[in-house]
Amino acid sequence: MTDYGHDLQFGVFVTPAAQPAHHAVDLAVTADRAGLDLVTFQDHPYQPHFHDTWTLLSYAASRTSRVHVSGNVLNLPLRQPAVLARAAASLDLLSGGRFELGIGAGGFWDAIAAMGGRRLSPGQSVRALEEAITIFREIWNPAERGGVRVEGEFYQVRGAKRGPAPAHDIPIWLGAYKPRMLRLIGRKADGWLPSLGYLPGGPAELAPLNAEIDEAAAGAGRSPSAIRRLLNVGGQFSAQAQGFLNGPPDQWAEDLAGLTLEHGVSTFILAGDDAATIERYAAEVAPATRELVAAAR
Amino acid sequence: MEFGTSITPANGGDPVGLARRSEELGFDLVTFQDHPYQPRFHDTWTLLAWVAGQTERVRLAGNVLNLPLRDPALLARSAASLDLLSGGRLELALGAGGFWDAIEAMGGPRREPRAAVEATDEAIDIIRGLHHAGDPTPFRSEGTHYRVPNAQRGPLPAHHIPIWLGALGPRMLRLIGRKADGWLPSLGRVGVDGLRAGNKLIDEAAVAAGRDPADIRRLVNVTPDVPLEVLQTLEADTLILYTDDVSEMERFAREVMPVLRATNRRPTRPSWARAKRRPGIDYDGVPRSADAVEPGDIDFPRLKSTYLRGGNPGIILRPRTTAEVVEALAFARRHRTVPLGIRSGGHGVSGRSTNDGGIVLSVARLNHIEVVGDRRVRVGPGARWSDIARTLAPHGWALTSGDYGGVGVGGLTTAGGVGWFARKHGLTLDHLRSAEVVLASGQVVRVDAAHDAELFWAIRGAGANFGIVTDFEFDVDEVGDVGFGQLAVDASDPAGLLERFGAAVEAAPRELTASLIMGPPRRGAYASILAVVDSDDPETIVSLLEPLAEIAPLVDQRVVLTPYAGLMATDGNSHHDGQGEPAGRSGLIEHLTPAFTADAEELLRSGAVHFFQLRSVGGAVADVDPMATAYANRSANFSVTALGLSQRRVDAAWDRLHHHFQGTYLNFDTDRRPERLHDAWPPEHLTRLRDLKRRYDPDGVFRDNFYLGDDR
Ligand SMILES: Cc1cc2nc3c(=O)[nH]c(=O)nc-3n(C[C@H](O)[C@H](O)[C@H](O)COP(=O)(O)OP(=O)(O)OC[C@H]3O[C@@H](n4cnc5c(N)ncnc54)[C@H](O)[C@@H]3O)c2cc1C
Repeated sequence: MTDYGHDLQFGVFVTPAAQPAHHAVDLAVTADRAGLDLVTFQDHPYQPHFHDTWTLLSYAASRTSRVHVSGNVLNLPLRQPAVLARAAASLDLLSGGRFELGIGAGGFWDAIAAMGGRRLSPGQSVRALEEAITIFREIWNPAERGGVRVEGEFYQVRGAKRGPAPAHDIPIWLGAYKPRMLRLIGRKADGWLPSLGYLPGGPAELAPLNAEIDEAAAGAGRSPSAIRRLLNVGGQFSAQAQGFLNGPPDQWAEDLAGLTLEHGVSTFILAGDDAATIERYAAEVAPATRELVAAAR
Repeated sequence: MEFGTSITPANGGDPVGLARRSEELGFDLVTFQDHPYQPRFHDTWTLLAWVAGQTERVRLAGNVLNLPLRDPALLARSAASLDLLSGGRLELALGAGGFWDAIEAMGGPRREPRAAVEATDEAIDIIRGLHHAGDPTPFRSEGTHYRVPNAQRGPLPAHHIPIWLGALGPRMLRLIGRKADGWLPSLGRVGVDGLRAGNKLIDEAAVAAGRDPADIRRLVNVTPDVPLEVLQTLEADTLILYTDDVSEMERFAREVMPVLRATNRRPTRPSWARAKRRPGIDYDGVPRSADAVEPGDIDFPRLKSTYLRGGNPGIILRPRTTAEVVEALAFARRHRTVPLGIRSGGHGVSGRSTNDGGIVLSVARLNHIEVVGDRRVRVGPGARWSDIARTLAPHGWALTSGDYGGVGVGGLTTAGGVGWFARKHGLTLDHLRSAEVVLASGQVVRVDAAHDAELFWAIRGAGANFGIVTDFEFDVDEVGDVGFGQLAVDASDPAGLLERFGAAVEAAPRELTASLIMGPPRRGAYASILAVVDSDDPETIVSLLEPLAEIAPLVDQRVVLTPYAGLMATDGNSHHDGQGEPAGRSGLIEHLTPAFTADAEELLRSGAVHFFQLRSVGGAVADVDPMATAYANRSANFSVTALGLSQRRVDAAWDRLHHHFQGTYLNFDTDRRPERLHDAWPPEHLTRLRDLKRRYDPDGVFRDNFYLGDDR
């Protein structure tokens, strides 16, 4: 039983389909109007049926007014960290502090290599990501003197100017399942963003993975509660309770509140492209979950 | 000639506001320089995407994008995305790089001049290759600077994204001549003579490569202090004003742009696009505001056809405001030898909203939806019923429309509007309180019961003959969730089924509106009955649907309680690619008598039609005095429609049913024989309409839909 005590946030995970061109944007607007906290898109720059996620994030942020946006998760290997850092700061400034940086070490190496990207082993990709995080944080920190210098194994930044400072402290969330990445989160990141569907053991599997992060955090002298636990979930509304996140909204709320109280998950990102479901999630599930958690805390 | 602004992307300034102002001032293009190593600037790509979300018509470009820090393969995908998201408003201007120390400090490459040209050359191929999404083979390129071993192509951009290069050296200029779509230097750097010399070099390289130099656009950045006399002598197609000073932008828009636009009319389309033009259309005289699409333009394939009809028009005009509709119509009026189609939602059946070699005047972009009062909305002709339903739903309101949310307001409302609340609330046009109409003369009038009442009468049922409606003001109804039943019933006895359907619907309270669809009789064939019950009480819903479920053995059923907006929801964004000509006939009938149903069964057996539908009218539709609107045949309880593949065969089969009907709902009838006018309107209506037609459209400008001009 670990509840890290974070405020609850509710988001959506929308397919960044390139056709119809406004599909994803329309759903982002729906989520914004419905009062959700977060809209996220996966990022597969080698996949031509999808929009370029960075472009989509920027455009969607421009068309919405309250909701925050994030990649879920951005593909580091095909993006240059120093340029990405400034782009992130720009988007955060333009959107009034509504950008969050969900990022991953990469996967689908064949597709990345087919685009001309560098093929890395799992271990290398974690090290590359760690270097990139350092670059992001350095660029975002204009208070420090002198240029940014990172002589990495994968990325070299030699005296690039610092800045701009983003509008808010952009949290860095990592999509991760394996020990090396989890330990990196514990040491350096602000959040963990896995998908429930990729945990073969279901919610129970969150416990050991959380423990791995917590241990690494403690080892780095950080409090485990410095790291937000996010989770991509799938679900279906139905009249009768039929299973986990398959039932009426109050059952959803109980399922999600359980994840918060038992595993400390505080951001629930619902996958799906249906406007009515998104509205219902915002109107009925989010407040009920918040109430249950508030009552239990 | 076109005009742009170049705005400093300073994150401490207001580049977004300046971009919006540029758009308001009528600039064609907004550009930002790109220096990813400069922390006082926004990331230009992010800014471009943001600004795309904050503007509507202005095109956008980097000035110029820093190639060494932007991977071309990723840039190709990003560019296609932004082009799609912005509705075809992205242009690509690339620079080979400068400030190599700063680029290297960011982790980018350092390139000598020759290498920079080479890398740019490779990048152009990569971007073009990935945008060439029609080619199913993977894209491969093994260059010195970039390797793309095996990438899938796409996404397909919304328009042909040109690649312009900001360049000075002769090698780069020759590359432009060979490959690029434009040259974008700064006048301050090249000077007037340098511009001339550069253009010459580009022209020579173009000719040597077998290209038409006119296909390469010449753009140039100019500062506000360059005098008009100098601007007038520049060899350029696009002037980009480099300033962050709003008053300079305003002055330029007021004093410079009109003068240069009037004198400089170099064609903006490349020669291969001009080659696809059709005879009889004055392409060079098209008003700029029409944002015309020609057969050689990349968006043409997505606009040429409508939902049900394949087309190949000579030009598509796309005004955005009433004033622009007036201009577009003036252009169209000068073309009496080619057909003219008016298009709103592009779902026309009777209305030829596309054609072959003619003009299509599309008002699809006039698609506003505005709640203006209690149960009062104003909508543009290009709005879709799905969007209107979604906008009204939060208020607890709905406007009866049709059974398909993708249909447009313009065509449906001006002819009728037979929808899911027909029996309860009447036709769509019964809800119309006023309308703005652009008449054949170009005059704009607002019509209602007290102003131009005759016209107001005419546009409610014969609107296509009298003008282009640019705004509709409707009263809407209070509607909560509704019951929606989908029943599949055995159709082995078509005549009996139809007769019982007719009786059940006529006997039902007005809360129920139903439709029945069936095809040719086959073993195991069933009919599909869809019905809406305007009630959110499950018991009422079930009790009203039950009689329908009893008219024949039930094969399947589904009943849901849903918001009306849920019934209308569609993906209205996708383009239309209808093919051929629809062949449809329609009839309005009071009762489904045994004599009629027997003949209808014959029709189905004839094989001439593959789609046969009945929709409820009657009820509130019949409460209205038939003389009150041009829509006349109000005593009917059913609208009957058939679709087939051949007009000749459909006509032959349908004509045998003709005597059963008191008229036709013109929106579903594609027959062009003149006697159809007598079906659409009884004698008194027809005489009155013809008088009005002579008064308001004596030259027959509007003739794409039940043309009233032929006195037969
Ligand atoms: C799938 C489908 C389902 C349908 N369902 C229904 C239904 O349930 N109920 C119903 O009543 N009808 C229905 N219709 C018929 C439909 O109402 C007509 O075809 C209508 O003309 C479509 O309007 P539009 O604006 O989409 O068409 P468009 O193709 O844009 O226009 C058709 C014609 O309408 C005229 N017109 C268009 N815009 C204007 C304007 N602004 N001012 C004046 N005249 C204009 C022109 O003559 C034009 O050729 C359906 C059609 C389809 C294809």
